[in-house]
Amino acid sequence: MNETVVLKDLQINAGDNILVNKTSIVIEEGEIFGLVGESGSGKTLTAKAIINLLPKGLSYSADEIITAGKNMLTASAEEKKEHIGKNIGYIPQNTVFYLHPMIKIKNQIGDGYVYHMHKTKKEALEKAEALLYKVGFKYPKIVLNYYPWQLSGGMRQRCNIAMALMNDPKLIIADEPTTALDSTVQRQVMDLFRTINEEMKLSILLISHNLGLVKHYSHSLAVMYAGQIVESGYTNTVFSNPKHPYTRLLIEIIPSFKIKKDERLAEIPGLAAENGRDIKGCVFFKRCPKAMDICKEMVAEHIDDKHDHYYRCNLK
Amino acid sequence: MLSYILDRLKSSIVVLFVVSVITFFVLMIIPGNPAQLILGTDATPEAIQELHAAMGLDRPLYQQYLSWLLDLFTLDMGSSYVYGESVTALIARSIPVTFSISIFAMVMAVFIAFLFGIISAIKKNSIADYFSRSIMQLGAAIPSFWIGMVFIVYFGIKLRILPVSGFVPIEQSFAGFIKSILLPSVVLAIGEVGTLLRIIRSSMLDSLKQDYMDMARVKGLSTGKTYIKYALRGALTAPLTIIGMQFAKLAGGTVVVETIFALPGLGRMVLTAVEHRDIVLLQGLVMFITSTVIIITLIVDISVMYLNPRIKSFQQGEL
Ligand SMILES: Nc1ncnc2c1ncn2[C@@H]1O[C@H](COP(=O)(O)OP(=O)(O)OP(=O)(O)O)[C@@H](O)[C@H]1O
Ligand SMILES: [Mg+2]
Repeated sequence: MNETVVLKDLQINAGDNILVNKTSIVIEEGEIFGLVGESGSGKTLTAKAIINLLPKGLSYSADEIITAGKNMLTASAEEKKEHIGKNIGYIPQNTVFYLHPMIKIKNQIGDGYVYHMHKTKKEALEKAEALLYKVGFKYPKIVLNYYPWQLSGGMRQRCNIAMALMNDPKLIIADEPTTALDSTVQRQVMDLFRTINEEMKLSILLISHNLGLVKHYSHSLAVMYAGQIVESGYTNTVFSNPKHPYTRLLIEIIPSFKIKKDERLAEIPGLAAENGRDIKGCVFFKRCPKAMDICKEMVAEHIDDKHDHYYRCNLK
Repeated sequence: MLSYILDRLKSSIVVLFVVSVITFFVLMIIPGNPAQLILGTDATPEAIQELHAAMGLDRPLYQQYLSWLLDLFTLDMGSSYVYGESVTALIARSIPVTFSISIFAMVMAVFIAFLFGIISAIKKNSIADYFSRSIMQLGAAIPSFWIGMVFIVYFGIKLRILPVSGFVPIEQSFAGFIKSILLPSVVLAIGEVGTLLRIIRSSMLDSLKQDYMDMARVKGLSTGKTYIKYALRGALTAPLTIIGMQFAKLAGGTVVVETIFALPGLGRMVLTAVEHRDIVLLQGLVMFITSTVIIITLIVDISVMYLNPRIKSFQQGEL
């Protein structure tokens, strides 16, 4: 068993306010790992903690962060930078400004490849061209000569995807990678992810609001709620036998499997807590249809022997 | 791109035309008879009348304007009565003075401002940052005539290593040329460096906060690439515009510094022309300075557009 990512007991704070709490994730090598949850539940921050990209104002602590084989808690800043740059591809959630607006695609898509893989710019452009073709551009040469603002949102997203794939990384973090894409291109990109995942044993952390997508493509998944992971495990297991009431509601109530982006779930009454994410009891208490008195005081963690199904709930 | 440049050229020509009209007519209606000025107070009315006619001043104003404008195209701007020389020759002689101290000053200011602006933005609250903030405040607070005098007293009179006044043309002696422009350029640079540093620092700070910097960090690029290729690239527009404005200002003549260091530059010539009501000289100077400013602005605008090519139109074909 080889893990690409081990995250143990992550906590992220903004001053006194806890944003992410008691979050643990294990992504096996060659696995597509889905991370789902409502807007604001802490998915992006969790992903950023893995790649040392948390915004300056936030502080974090964790028992363990291992990213593509390197211990992020003991590595020096320079080591982290080199390691992440070489081994991880990052597809940010909102790609509009992640490409430099004043630099042509060809001058920014390959510089990481040139730097880490010791290639020439020409080799980088050849690789970029091939990847751009794979993400659905019919004429990648033209795209390379464009500035980002000459491309639509979906095109920029695909450029970011191609850029993330340049180094043949060990891990790709894809934060809502297909939101700006229409359904055909979305399929194409997701199938590409699956192909490279299978061919190159590359691990993918797939963050999405789209439960259907995660169900279809991921091997394992975690459900996040108000800064905590409430349930995780193999995708088949979780979908066939959801334990946490929140997971159940997500699966049962929303037939389309789509949690609307930037919207709270109307189907489940109440709101995900913005504050008080460090309470002793269950974070879902206020909205839970099956809440019991004890849920205010404590919450039981269930981990089965094979570590393949985890949930935090007092229900049996 | 080309059509934008052509557009800008067209509007520049219109501006120049308007300026020529204003320069000519405003200066013409200023009280004071040029013939009287030339001949002095004890000249006879007949002599003045005669000179007046000889200078073409009895013609209707529009005729005078047209012939002045036509002469402009052949670079003939008339002759100055104070110096008794052609205005074109006079301007040509003071250009090297003003331009060399302006260019030298801007090179120094740009170098220091970028160096400290970038470092202080990257390492906020470091020693370099405190130093930069002192530069910003000192540059703005100390009047240039005072620095100029201090320099003259210290380097010129006490240490005797630099001349206190005058200009040595470059073809006469290179070392002498550098020595003669060094102090005035430094004084000018001190006056400009603070503003520029402030702009560079704040543009850099802003650029460092952008999402593309996150991407550069995740890509793990070298420090140089991260800060120069990405951060600085996104922070150049405002500083470039300011540099253009500052240079245009200096190139139009630096009256105070030229006076302190007794340099025969454009600024002093403007002063002389005004003092002596040398209308012809003043018209020539205003036209020349305006054209310089317009040309510099044009160059800056084109460079800004090159840096930030969003102005360009494009066709987003089927990809
Ligand atoms: N820099 C920051 N400073 C303070 N709070 C922050 C910061 N970034 C995010 N947060 C807060 O942390 C919480 C989690 O944010 P995060 O971006 O991880 O959510 P998310 O699950 O990715 O949501 P979405 O699905 O909308 O992308 C939110 O409540 C957000 O307001
Ligand atoms: Mg997010």
